[in-house]
Amino acid sequence: MSRPGFVLEVDDRTPPLVVHEGLGFRLEDGFPLGTRVVYPPESIPAVPDVDAAIREALLHPVDSDPLPELLFAGMRLTIAFDDLSLPLPTMKAPDIRGRIIEHVLTMAAEAGVDDVKLIAANALHRRMTAAELKHIVGERVFRSFYPQGDLYNFDAEDRDALAHLGTTDKGEDIEISKRAAESDLLVYVNVNLVAMDGGHKSVGIGLASYKSLRHHHNAKTMVQSRSFMDHKHSAMHHSAWRIGRVIKDTVKVFQIETTLNNDVFPKPFDFLQKREWEWSVKDQASMLGVRRGLAAAPQRLRHKMFHDMRSVYGLTGVNAGEVEAVHERTLQKVHQQHLVEVQGQSDVLVMGVPYLGPYNVNSSMNPVLATCMGLGYYFNSYRGQPVVRKGGAVILYHPLNEGFNQLHHPSYVDFYEEVLAESTDPAVVGEKYEQQFAEDPWYIHLYRTSHAYHGVHPFYMWYWAAHAMDHVDEVIWVGADRRVASRLGFRAATTLADALEMASGTVGTSPSITYLHNPPHLLADVR
Amino acid sequence: MSFVRSSVEDIRLVSRGWRWGRRPQVPRSAEEWVPAARSTVFRTDWSRRRPAMAAREVAQKVGLEPLFRSQVRTRVEALDVLDRIDGPVIFVANHVSHLDTPLVLLSLPDEWRRRTAVAAAADYFFDTWWRAVGSVLLFNTFPIDRRGGSLAATPGEVLADGWSLVIYPEGTRSNDGWMGKFRMGAAFLAKEHGVPVVPVAHRGTFAAMPRGQGWPSPGRRQLTIRFGEPLVCGADESVREFAPRIKDAVAALLDEDRTTWWEARRRVASGSTPDPSGPSVAQWRRVWEQSESPAPDAPARKLRAWRR
Repeated sequence: MSRPGFVLEVDDRTPPLVVHEGLGFRLEDGFPLGTRVVYPPESIPAVPDVDAAIREALLHPVDSDPLPELLFAGMRLTIAFDDLSLPLPTMKAPDIRGRIIEHVLTMAAEAGVDDVKLIAANALHRRMTAAELKHIVGERVFRSFYPQGDLYNFDAEDRDALAHLGTTDKGEDIEISKRAAESDLLVYVNVNLVAMDGGHKSVGIGLASYKSLRHHHNAKTMVQSRSFMDHKHSAMHHSAWRIGRVIKDTVKVFQIETTLNNDVFPKPFDFLQKREWEWSVKDQASMLGVRRGLAAAPQRLRHKMFHDMRSVYGLTGVNAGEVEAVHERTLQKVHQQHLVEVQGQSDVLVMGVPYLGPYNVNSSMNPVLATCMGLGYYFNSYRGQPVVRKGGAVILYHPLNEGFNQLHHPSYVDFYEEVLAESTDPAVVGEKYEQQFAEDPWYIHLYRTSHAYHGVHPFYMWYWAAHAMDHVDEVIWVGADRRVASRLGFRAATTLADALEMASGTVGTSPSITYLHNPPHLLADVR
Repeated sequence: MSFVRSSVEDIRLVSRGWRWGRRPQVPRSAEEWVPAARSTVFRTDWSRRRPAMAAREVAQKVGLEPLFRSQVRTRVEALDVLDRIDGPVIFVANHVSHLDTPLVLLSLPDEWRRRTAVAAAADYFFDTWWRAVGSVLLFNTFPIDRRGGSLAATPGEVLADGWSLVIYPEGTRSNDGWMGKFRMGAAFLAKEHGVPVVPVAHRGTFAAMPRGQGWPSPGRRQLTIRFGEPLVCGADESVREFAPRIKDAVAALLDEDRTTWWEARRRVASGSTPDPSGPSVAQWRRVWEQSESPAPDAPARKLRAWRR
């Protein structure tokens, strides 16, 4: 029996609480009495038989014919799937996408389908390596398709492989993978880790080019996405939904969405997903061991310790069929796993930024990504209204010292050094520099041939944080490199007490404080 | 900060935060989310066999008793009631402190003490194996489930084997030193097994070591303990009628301990025995009254040469 999430009120009995900060975590015992701490629900039960659940979903889809009836000899079948940005951390093999794709391919083989392509829907994300692709689709699928070039990363800059499907009623261009657009059936296999994933965002964004993405990936839209974890109140999702509905008229999409539980940390890190006062002696010993190990280890080893972590998620649901109907069911499961009711806003929001975000899998969490993670994903982990009041303060934990990965994030370096040096206002930098970065031939070259994120990607990260920057008056990073924080337009503090002192000019000397205790993931339902 | 120093800091933080050596605490707002403890199945029959009895004898006589006497002074009254009966019996006492059990056990004559077991809350004394083994070896405890309001099967078996029991019918230690509500378990057992109940009243343990305190207060506080006449449940007396009789007996003993036998008897006769649950006054006055130790027999001896 899994317990729901709840809001703890820090009192004299509360032990020090874990706060993630990059490649490590802190035991924070400085939370003022009365601080609210939002704990995510415990892992909900996983489906007992994954293969049976997948078969059931494919044979009895929602608002769609069963998959075998959609498959026929001589058809063009395209299977698209989420890239390595999901789930976080990476799932222990076998990945659920691979298992689903195997079922789909088995049915396709039985129907005599010859023309099958598998496309990783990475949009402007970096191309995945062969090993990363293999981890997602599994050895069997990889061996059957990759050598022939039938399993590949989507290339949003290959003009010949893109199809323009027209515009929405709001004038938004729809340009997606030509192969997907011209298929008789497009099967999309997703991992719906959090509420923002899935739905029309899968095809409409995952297989889209810059020309299409720029309509919703911009500062103006993101400020209006309140939050982007709630698609009904997210301008970005509204745009994706408009685009998705046009795509639906062009190509038959069979959406398969999966939901996972909160089993994020494998042993010996499992103490990180327990409530601190329930730590056994063994948990305390593991924690001390891990902390001392991290303290002794060089940065490279710490990076390896964390990034080699593979989560033992349980599958909580798999739904297939028509995109919107499927997504409704998916969201129910996601909300069941993540929603925590929080009464009212607070003056200060505290969040620990962990080592991993969607864009630094097997890479480094550079300052721009850390900002995106804290002020983007975690800040937006709300439904209703933000956890912090308008004009409040956000306190984030991260050392901001990981530097940039030159292979994966080349454009981030220039964005940090040149663009942020001039302005940190998302709207201003977007207006002035986005086009230039998006069309830079060198970045495009690296995106297409190396493993680099697209040139425009750092802008998107900055837009992700636009709503938070617009909403709060003060952002303070605890334990961060001062120069880096200053470049990002924020301030740094050594301890929480210092940060609260610094924020007192904005929120007073005895502010109400809420700490979001994630990961594991949570979604604050702020009433 | 050096690695060694930060390691020491970490260990210190954890030892303080997770109360090493003490019982862990749950933040108040999280209490409703703590899962109910699973009922503990901890067999204690081994503890009533000869090797364990021998070990307990050594532990009590060599370890517990000298330590106990070094920390508190005791005055035991009316032990002669035990001369007039044969075991097994059920000793029913008020409960205010962890000192109660050693006080009762160490006050009993050796031959009674060796054949007496103590009913202890399963969720408190049997939640970890080491706590269970420790309390079993030292005090001959056996687990009872106090959540359900009824006793588990074990007490009956222990009684049937000829062991006397110590039962605190309040089920938990009093918060303010005054007596709480008595549950029916002891009366039920006495009727079911046809054994007498020996009421026991003690005073001073709350003043010496109240709830929340891990060691007796300094100064060798005075404790008093008084045994009452055995009570037998009549053939046509129900458990519901018998249970209040036990409580009244303990209340009368407390009164007797505070005053004299004659005064207490007269008050019993006139039905004016002071309510053992205490006066309905401000909480601090209730605690205040109980935090005073009973008057010691004689002034503490102090060697003149050592007087400061």
